[in-house]
Amino acid sequence: MSKDIILKNGIVYDPKNGIDGEVKDICISDGKIVEKVGEKAKVIDVKGKTVLPGGVDMHSHIVGSKLNFGRAMCPEAHRLEKPMMRTKKTRSGVTGIMFSSYTLGYRYSSMGYTTVIEPALPPMKALGTWEELEDIPNLNKALLPMFGNNMVTYHYVKEGDLSGLAGFISWILKATGGWGVKVVNPGGTYAWAYGKNIREPDTEIPQWGITPREVIRSLVMATESLGLPHVVHLHPNNLGRVGNIHTTIEELDAVKDIKGFKGRKQTIHLTHMSFETLDMVEEGKPEWKDVSSGGLAFAKYMNKNKHFTADLGQITFGPAMTMTGDGPFQFTLHQMTKTKWGNIPVDVELPGGAGIVPYNFEMKSPANSIQWTIPLEFALSVDDIWRVVMTTDHPNAGPFTKYPLVLSWLMSKKQRAIWLDKMHKFARERSTLEGIEREWTMYEATISTRAAPAKILGIDSRKGHLGIGADADVSVYSFNPLKTNLAENPDLIVQGFSESALTILSGEVVAKKGVVQKTPHGKVMTLDPQLNDDLAARVASEVEGMITRWYAHSFKNYPAPERYRAHLEERIPLDARSVTA
Amino acid sequence: MTEAEKVFTDVPCTFCGCLCDDIEVEVNDGKIVGIKNGCAICKSRFLKHHENRLEHPSIMKDGEQSSVSLDEAVSKAVEIIASARRLLIYGLSSTENDAHREAYKIAELAGGVVDNTSSVCHGPTILGVQESGEAAGALAEVRNRADLVIYWGSNPLAAHPRHISRYTRVAGEYIKDPKKDRKIWLVDIRKSETARTVDKFIKLQPGTDLEVISSLRALLRGHRLAVDEVGGIPVSELQEAVDAMKNAKYGILFFGLGLTQSKGRFRNIDAAVRLIQDLNSYTKWNMMPMRGHYNVSGANKTSTWQTGYPYAVDFARGYPRYQPGEYTAVDLLARGEVDAMLNIAADPAAHFPKACLKTLSQIPIINIDPKENMTSRLATVNIPVAVAGIECDGAAVRMDGLPLYLHKIIDPPEGVLPDRDVLGMIYKKLEKEVKK
Amino acid sequence: MSRVGVKVTLTSGRTLLQGRTLEEGKLTDAYRDAVSYVELDGATLDALGIEPGSLVEVETIYGSVVVTAKKSRGEEPGIAFMPCGPYANTVTSDDTQETGMPSFKSIEAQVFKADASTISDIEKFVGGNP
Repeated sequence: MSKDIILKNGIVYDPKNGIDGEVKDICISDGKIVEKVGEKAKVIDVKGKTVLPGGVDMHSHIVGSKLNFGRAMCPEAHRLEKPMMRTKKTRSGVTGIMFSSYTLGYRYSSMGYTTVIEPALPPMKALGTWEELEDIPNLNKALLPMFGNNMVTYHYVKEGDLSGLAGFISWILKATGGWGVKVVNPGGTYAWAYGKNIREPDTEIPQWGITPREVIRSLVMATESLGLPHVVHLHPNNLGRVGNIHTTIEELDAVKDIKGFKGRKQTIHLTHMSFETLDMVEEGKPEWKDVSSGGLAFAKYMNKNKHFTADLGQITFGPAMTMTGDGPFQFTLHQMTKTKWGNIPVDVELPGGAGIVPYNFEMKSPANSIQWTIPLEFALSVDDIWRVVMTTDHPNAGPFTKYPLVLSWLMSKKQRAIWLDKMHKFARERSTLEGIEREWTMYEATISTRAAPAKILGIDSRKGHLGIGADADVSVYSFNPLKTNLAENPDLIVQGFSESALTILSGEVVAKKGVVQKTPHGKVMTLDPQLNDDLAARVASEVEGMITRWYAHSFKNYPAPERYRAHLEERIPLDARSVTA
Repeated sequence: MTEAEKVFTDVPCTFCGCLCDDIEVEVNDGKIVGIKNGCAICKSRFLKHHENRLEHPSIMKDGEQSSVSLDEAVSKAVEIIASARRLLIYGLSSTENDAHREAYKIAELAGGVVDNTSSVCHGPTILGVQESGEAAGALAEVRNRADLVIYWGSNPLAAHPRHISRYTRVAGEYIKDPKKDRKIWLVDIRKSETARTVDKFIKLQPGTDLEVISSLRALLRGHRLAVDEVGGIPVSELQEAVDAMKNAKYGILFFGLGLTQSKGRFRNIDAAVRLIQDLNSYTKWNMMPMRGHYNVSGANKTSTWQTGYPYAVDFARGYPRYQPGEYTAVDLLARGEVDAMLNIAADPAAHFPKACLKTLSQIPIINIDPKENMTSRLATVNIPVAVAGIECDGAAVRMDGLPLYLHKIIDPPEGVLPDRDVLGMIYKKLEKEVKK
Repeated sequence: MSRVGVKVTLTSGRTLLQGRTLEEGKLTDAYRDAVSYVELDGATLDALGIEPGSLVEVETIYGSVVVTAKKSRGEEPGIAFMPCGPYANTVTSDDTQETGMPSFKSIEAQVFKADASTISDIEKFVGGNP
């Protein structure tokens, strides 16, 4: 058991508990935040420093086959920054845009992050993913298996069998150790099996006679009937196409009428909105030369429609590695860039159909500069920051190491002006970003990087806050927002968030001044839904039948074995016995 | 025949990259007595796993192997590693993933090089992918959808005996009749046994793969060739091939060492990758290397996530660096650059060119393997281990990237541990040694 | 005395028997038999004046080795095939062209009727003597 700790006199931001920059002590005992600790507790003086809940990243590709594919395909990307040497406490590895497993955990930890979610697990590759999770230290983690291009999903959607679909979701979550339902370009990636894409919600999916709209609606209804902590996590159709804001809004509208579990207001999470809210100039065509920012329009839509949340996928500049479960989009990108293109197949068997293409975002590119404005315009025009999460869709729009820079754009108009000067003129002409006065406060930044993602993931009873009983995941930064005007000093924001003064994971100090001190595993949060016996039995036998028929390996070898999971896993039971058979 | 006491089902076979996981293993009295569903090699692997084993840990003394305890063997191994200036760790493709992870720890601690057998099988594939990418295929997808299958420089009937019967000459969800709805071609320099089972055999002259693939690309793009034949194949026949490829609904290119080991090496793969990419502008095509060792894909995977690089990784500077041609086993040995070798689940003495053998015979080798082999004859230290997938569990990766859990069927011989445990012992002891 | 040789392109590769026997054991006679031959076409055998089963010497600039001759199924003049393994490797090249991959395929070679009465003793090569 780790020693009790008291963090003394820090400037605390804890939005869940309404604490906005108050000087107070945080007491830690046995991995939890407690009201007080005894005299023997270790006193750490954090006077003049900022104390936040540990960072929660709800969408970052940190593990799995497409990341490994990208790593192996692009060794040149590993030497963009200095590699990490082996030390007595830590393993060595590469950095750059993708990182190797150990160094990824260390770097996140040294930035004050304590929880990171992998948002695209091909379910049948769960075993390999768990092996890799073992080698990512210093973070709590969770996985979102993909359901949107899976033949078993399609079977249940086609049959209109929502209980069966809910049963299948439960089965996959158990078999793979997943946390929620990810949907990527539903039907479009499936159509990619024949070199095609589906861009609109009502186009029929080949061979199935169902549409993306039906797939999304069914998955949302099944998820809400189960009451999964995290809502459906959606990467919609038509990603990366000029004018796609209309598709995105149409797909969000498509689930508006669905009642949330126990009355919860949000039923869907839209991920990396920057790629999905491309608008076009008046009388323009859906071509890159006519692209404009849809950030403001989308913020207005969000302000009016309360049934969804979104993360940014903020474009940063420089080398990135695009990797999505959206195979056809990635091929289009390859045709545009003429760079390397990796593809991972589509099938039932590897429901993913991922593509991997290296990409360099350039400030002088008209398209890239507009893409940069979209999420900023959006995030600075939204009323409710609790529904907006800062991400870069690591490593798609840039690596997670750019988060401090993204925060500086959100928190400092001065910084935006400096960067606008470097951009193509379209950044000014085709977005309203330049005129936006708003600057996120420290409180808002804390919401968007801690409290909101925890809430959206359904882990907010324990993560993303510093109230009594919360998990003692804490980050301390050396700047003082009460004394320093951060908005006027954007460099301080960048520096300040790049290295935590202290990162505490489950009550243990794991990093100090950007240097990793300890390398515990963290926990992998998984769900263990309990269905009623009839439904469980029915689904188990149906799924066995379908997997045996469609897959090229044995049904018995599908689930990720306990031996690779149990010691890492924090399995959270979920009572879903109310779903009828 | 007596009835088996126990039958294990859904067992993955740990021979080739197909990792067929429908094997039934019959066990009587702690011995494997029967195999169902497996190919001839699978039967040999399971039924004869107990033959020709390394019986004891041993150390070479005066030209003879003499038995020692496991602790003594481990101590000697650590002594060799600790005093090496340039250690090569090699093999790994015929053992399970956890063993790899222990091997990387040793390489990092010792500042050595770690390379797996892909450097002499599909290493050039990885280099080609690093040039241009790869539209990778999956085996179920092929079975369910592919209407044109090409094997190129590969002889599946010899090296992957069930590949055709399990994945290509078999009905799938959208290919009801695998003979009528799907065509299988073979491109090779000689009429192997596989040639007789396919719908079309295209024979090319040795060493002309690059020219032939480039010509196919040119024809696909509508260029005319100013020659009548390429690689011994009439241009008209190449044009027919291109037309058929373009008109396929879903094509798959399975390629073997005939492409990676022959003249051109990774350039052949680069060209093939680009051909497949070009075809994707018209229809759906994917490709897949016919991986030989059952877990060579796994060795690439584990190395990639831990170090960033799939093989040929050097830790001399305390962090991973990558350079095939420099840090690959054949180059290091042929140059005489390494002064000690830790060999795990491979037999370089049998499989490397002669020039490497000279170095192998001059340096201390720590050999970790279940069985005797040519390398074990040379080794300074031999440590017998359990056969993964038969005598211990583990994880491995199929040729299409699917991870599979390997089953433990029976106990290993007494006192014999899995690779991962032996390597773990070496690491622990080495760590103490390094701290001194 | 000059010898009559036939020029061939030598290639090496997997065979089913090589796979089966290596799983039995690499030091078995079965494995040795499975990897110590060269497949030649009928015309080449005729030119050498030998029957299948005779011993031949395969020579490249990297080395030479005495193995058993077999008649190939494919009847491809000019192509000689050896199963991959220690015998083939005595005549293949260690030149990887900076790729890590030696030349296991398409090597220029000559085949002679062997003077020796047994196949090469592979132990000698393993012993490191050239």
